[in-house]
Amino acid sequence: MATTTLEPRAAGYRRSWVLDWLTTVDHKKIGILYIVNSFLFFFAAGILALVIRAELAVPGMQFVDQDTYNQAFTMHGTIMIFLFVVPVLAGFGNYIVPLMIGAPDMAFPRINALSFWLLPLGGILIFSGYLFGGAAAEGWTAYTPLSGPDYGSTPGTDLWIIGLTLVGTASILGAVNFIATIFKMRAPGMTLFRMPIFVWTVLVTATLILLATPVLTAGLIALFIDRNYGGSFFDPTVGGNPILWQHIFWFFGHPEVYIVILPAMGVVSEVLPVFSRKPLFGYKAFVFATVGIGLLSFSVWAHHMFTTGAVFLPFFAFMTALIAIPTGIKMFNWLATMWRGKLMLTTPMLFSLGFLSMFLIGGISGVMLASPPIDFHVQDTYFVVAHLHYVFFGGSVFGVFAASYYWFPKMFGRKLNEPLGKVHFWLHFIGFNLAFFPMHQLGLSGMPRRIGDYSPDAGWTILNLISTAGAFLIAISILPFLINVIATFINGEPAGDDPWEGNTLEWATSSPPPPHNFDRLPPIHSERPLFFLTHGHGHAAERPEDLEEEPIGESKSGDAERRPEDLV
Amino acid sequence: MQPTAARSRSRTKLRVGVPLLVLALAASGCLLPPDPVTEAGQDVFNLYLVVLALAAIVFIGVEGFILYAIFRYRRQPGDDVLPEQHHGNNTIEVIWTIIPTVIVLILFTVSVITLGEVEGRSEDPGVTIEVDGFQWQWTFSYPEGGTTTGTIGSPPTLVVPVNEPVRLVLNSLDVNHAFYVPQFLIKRDLIPVGENGEPNELEFTITEEGTYAGQCAEFCGTAHADMTFVVDAVSREIYDEYAAALASGSPPPATGGGDCELTIEITANNTQFDIDEFEVPADTAFCIAFENQEAVPHNVSILEGGEHLFTGEFLNQPGNIIYEVPALAAGEYTFVCDAHVQAMNGTVTVTP
Repeated sequence: MATTTLEPRAAGYRRSWVLDWLTTVDHKKIGILYIVNSFLFFFAAGILALVIRAELAVPGMQFVDQDTYNQAFTMHGTIMIFLFVVPVLAGFGNYIVPLMIGAPDMAFPRINALSFWLLPLGGILIFSGYLFGGAAAEGWTAYTPLSGPDYGSTPGTDLWIIGLTLVGTASILGAVNFIATIFKMRAPGMTLFRMPIFVWTVLVTATLILLATPVLTAGLIALFIDRNYGGSFFDPTVGGNPILWQHIFWFFGHPEVYIVILPAMGVVSEVLPVFSRKPLFGYKAFVFATVGIGLLSFSVWAHHMFTTGAVFLPFFAFMTALIAIPTGIKMFNWLATMWRGKLMLTTPMLFSLGFLSMFLIGGISGVMLASPPIDFHVQDTYFVVAHLHYVFFGGSVFGVFAASYYWFPKMFGRKLNEPLGKVHFWLHFIGFNLAFFPMHQLGLSGMPRRIGDYSPDAGWTILNLISTAGAFLIAISILPFLINVIATFINGEPAGDDPWEGNTLEWATSSPPPPHNFDRLPPIHSERPLFFLTHGHGHAAERPEDLEEEPIGESKSGDAERRPEDLV
Repeated sequence: MQPTAARSRSRTKLRVGVPLLVLALAASGCLLPPDPVTEAGQDVFNLYLVVLALAAIVFIGVEGFILYAIFRYRRQPGDDVLPEQHHGNNTIEVIWTIIPTVIVLILFTVSVITLGEVEGRSEDPGVTIEVDGFQWQWTFSYPEGGTTTGTIGSPPTLVVPVNEPVRLVLNSLDVNHAFYVPQFLIKRDLIPVGENGEPNELEFTITEEGTYAGQCAEFCGTAHADMTFVVDAVSREIYDEYAAALASGSPPPATGGGDCELTIEITANNTQFDIDEFEVPADTAFCIAFENQEAVPHNVSILEGGEHLFTGEFLNQPGNIIYEVPALAAGEYTFVCDAHVQAMNGTVTVTP
């Protein structure tokens, strides 16, 4: 019988690193692609924000004309939400979730790659409106009939619809992948109630995406039919209803707010315990609060439509106010986590504390907006702009930076420079409040959103000027961050496997992790397996149920040191 | 207790207390809507004060705790002893589920009470006016039969009587708009509803005479920012006079201008202005009382170089109008009639 000598496969097959990144199905590389791609769109949309703020600094149209201004705020909102905040958090989820649950990869690695690559494609399509007579200019909400065939007739709006359909499809595929991964790929011993809170928030987020995004996609296709094939879904002159679009958009749009904030809450819930050196207070309460927010988020959409006269106000006011309860529970649990802790004010901790303070303001102004009479006054004014930036920026983006500083050592094996990180935080924090706090007063004084010009008699000039200064300070604060990232790549402090004395499994492997993630896994007895490993049973005994349960990993294979092939 | 520790603790109190005090002062000094001039606006304003007080309590409590924890529970260098590992406490969880529940129930209850007052409709409003919004202007149609609309640079004026309910029927002729006067503390959308839909209505009772600036609040395309209007709240007699004159087609008597600190009078006849220069102080809004004495279209606009700083509404027939001109910086400007720039012009001197 003839024998054949096989070459070792991996060593015999070399390809360029470019091709490697383009064709990768490794969740860690895809996660990094997500994050890098999202930050590129963040910078593009940030430049548009500076255009908006420069134009609003003083009365009169100085830099751009009205159409360019309208395109700028439309693209700013669309890109920031759909191509920065959502995907950057999905990127961290992609990188961290499999590591946190002790899995070797996502459940569907190739679908994972597809859902990433749809994003830059969709983003480029949305931006390419600028090449065909102007980008979409109807606001990120694209209300009909303004976005319909009779008024918003530039190709930019069609490209916006097609691009968003692709981005939405990417989200849906990603959500399916996360749900399958979290339910099917957990390491033995990692029961649902031992999952890190970040994994819980990603699970609830993925469920929201799965239920909400198809509604938007359907609405976008209906709008496309109206615009191009004589449809009349939203055209009142032939029996359609423009309010229907608002219902569809916000049925997606309000869960979208939680899609954006829940993973950031998850990040903060990982960072706060590590740097308070205590477990998260009320783990199960936190999980139930997260699920509660997810459920309630589908019953509040019409609070964006209080002034349309087309919705039943008390019901939506009540449901919206209810969301404050699980959110309040989370806030109290975060505070109790710090209570009698030993706080270390590292950069990720600073951004997490910034998240708590800023999201608090966004939450309070959100409850104010839930009151219909108050909403009658401030709806569609700068008060709403202030509120949504305190949630999206003060909340989610602070969470994104906390995650960046926290997990950078795991991803690249080097720690970002702490003093530069603190400079970044303080410039960012001050700039943010300068830019957005005055908008509360502007809105209360009656300045509508989405205007490029205002009267010098309105008394809005000084606050607008302060806000513009703050926006440019935010832009400046990004410089120390970029310098920090570059300098760390060149000559950063080696991080080691576990630079922060972390709680969760991603810190149990090398930095960066090997392609298969884990050579061995520690036993999993709680939501803090690594803390358990470092500090032993003495502390875990405070939760007696942890000791009574037989760890599944050991009972199944009889070997606590699981190898990746066990998972196949 | 060691003196240094005591000092550092009192310094800590100072560090926490002073920013909190500043925040509280800042919050009490501003963050208020304009003084309301309608009955419903007063209800909204009162509700807002209650909600702002609740918000301030929550803000100071939570933010205060965050700052307290940052200063009180810092890890000292070299301290490797773990703090006590609290995992939670169900009693405490129940308590802080109840706290936000009580707050939002209070908020919801007072909101619904106010909502009932704000949305209340009178059986028989004093006036019902049809408001048509379109890109990017307004038309106001009065029950007496008159109609008025604006032009670019010259927003239309809605004249209404004070101290009686005014009902607006809000129609859109194209895309969504919103009727918003900040001092009313209320707005309502104009939605194109087609043949079978019911247009929105907005009802208010203005309690103070005066002119109030308003503008479209729902984004409506290119010139959304320019879609402004003015509400002129006058006595019933002046309203009747105005509405009757408007309905009969004769030029309406000048209204508004009640707030003008300075009024310049200009008259046009024989394609000439009666003056060729006037002087106003810098950074002060002023009014021009313009009278057209002939059946030739005239207006008054103010230019810097070739650029319009202010464009007055045309009077096509003999009549009066009061222009409210925004504040100008010190310098020399020209005023013209846009239809007869060569023949009708003069100099505006704005003194510092």
